[in-house]
Amino acid sequence: MRIVVVTSGKGGVGKTTTSAAFASGLALRGFKTAVVDFDVGLRNLDLIMGCERRVVYDFVNVLQGEAKLTQALIKDKHVDTLHILPASQTKDKEALTEEGVEKVMRELEAMGFDYVVCDSPAGIERGALMALLFADEAIVVTNPEVSSVRDSDRILGILQSKSRRAIEGREPVKEHLLVTRYSAKRVEEGEMLSYKDIQELLRVPLIGVIPESDAVLHASNQGVPAIHLKGTDVAEAYADVVARFLGEDKPLRFVSYEKPSLIKRLFGST
Amino acid sequence: MSEEVRFESGRFEGIVVRSPLVSPARLADVLHKRFAGTESYFGGEPAVLDFSEVRDWPEQVDWSGLVAFFRRLGLQPIGVRGVPESFDAALKRLHLANLDEAALRLEAARPTEPPPAAPTSAQAPASPQTGTARAASTKFIDRPVRAGQQIYAPEGDVVLMAGSNPGAEIIAAGSIHCWGPLRGRVLAGAGGNLEARIVATHFGPELVSIAGVYQTFENGLPASIANRPVQVKLQVIQGQSHLLIEPIETI
Ligand SMILES: Nc1ncnc2c1ncn2[C@@H]1O[C@H](COP(=O)(O)OP(=O)(O)O)[C@@H](O)[C@H]1O
Ligand SMILES: [Mg+2]
Repeated sequence: MRIVVVTSGKGGVGKTTTSAAFASGLALRGFKTAVVDFDVGLRNLDLIMGCERRVVYDFVNVLQGEAKLTQALIKDKHVDTLHILPASQTKDKEALTEEGVEKVMRELEAMGFDYVVCDSPAGIERGALMALLFADEAIVVTNPEVSSVRDSDRILGILQSKSRRAIEGREPVKEHLLVTRYSAKRVEEGEMLSYKDIQELLRVPLIGVIPESDAVLHASNQGVPAIHLKGTDVAEAYADVVARFLGEDKPLRFVSYEKPSLIKRLFGST
Repeated sequence: MSEEVRFESGRFEGIVVRSPLVSPARLADVLHKRFAGTESYFGGEPAVLDFSEVRDWPEQVDWSGLVAFFRRLGLQPIGVRGVPESFDAALKRLHLANLDEAALRLEAARPTEPPPAAPTSAQAPASPQTGTARAASTKFIDRPVRAGQQIYAPEGDVVLMAGSNPGAEIIAAGSIHCWGPLRGRVLAGAGGNLEARIVATHFGPELVSIAGVYQTFENGLPASIANRPVQVKLQVIQGQSHLLIEPIETI
């Protein structure tokens, strides 16, 4: 089993959107996958996955021994190899303990899961530390702006010092940079950092660039992970990310902006 | 009285812990919520314990208990500030430096006016404290030093093999050598070694300092040195210390 944390330091950059899409993408490839919401108190993942009405028990119930893991795991309605472990909306963040989280990870492994995707909360406090503690790999989600890049740099430093792999001196957590909410047009106009700038600053291998798209909002309103939105840039970009994660070679797409031609501007797209 | 304990990143000292509390038991209570479950939250950074906010000093303070408490959090207390003289003997026994005076000396070594943008040389009114260079092992850092990370070499040199990023801090008693981008705050000769240098292939830090004489670059770097091979060294002319920041022409 591999544990993948989706993290960033900064909030609102697309971690939950990415966790839902990426976990769904792995499951679509046939891997038995669990996606775990570490954002205790906010609980967003179940909304994006469209399973909020089926939440009976949550992660904290499991940690506190009030429910079994099998009772709390929710089967995804789109892909049957995917399971969701929702966070609690109300309970105490202190419930996330090292021992508790470790026990849940062990149990998931015993249940035969291939991948666990951990959706991290923002910040560098308890929830975020717990989400990255057992990670084998990390997808560091970054938006093309300076403050987001700085926060990602910070979280990379924390991965290098506070993950179990780091503490035990094992092979370091494998890092992937994912640039999201990318507008090639605004980059062209000099309003945003380019993905090359970001990569140069962070010096972490790039696993993909997800374009800014209204489709994401539609998808989350309907409770459908973005990777299922057939024919959209976002769905294809996330599918590419999953492919690269699995070792396939995919050229970057949706990163260049072409000015609409005069004909197009006059007559609209045909 | 507020019981808020703040952890701030300091100028030379690593982590500055400002605590209005001096009882290890009270501190453990207050900080339990914040750090429970993450023993050794910090990564062995040196720490200055600043007790200036303590209102009512008890007659007895459990200094070794305090040191042990902060060690458990992963900090290495190296000194204190704001502690009444009556505790001097106790602090000495524990090898905790009284940094009140040192802090003043540091202030004196800073330019009185905001440093000029052009990094010709920073003037220091007082000559920095002197010290002797110590032969010590070199610290090699193979990965980029990232925002919020600190590299601290209390004795020897530091060699950064993959550069440093904005928001990083590198402190060495000796010299600092950097392959790749040099960003962040870079302080060589931290123990007062006037011979220490900073050498970089791609120069672009937020601050450089040698033996306490420092220079910031808020308004950017001149093209002659920005992102180019550069060395920084200290020049002492008639008792006045200047930083000399110059391109390395031989590359
Ligand atoms: N590629 C994208 N294009 C447009 N909006 C996006 C994109 N990715 C995320 N968003 C939006 O950004 C907001 C924050 O996303 P979310 O995944 O919840 O971030 P986080 O989990 O990092 O806080 C949401 O409103 C989401 O719909
Ligand atoms: Mg989220």
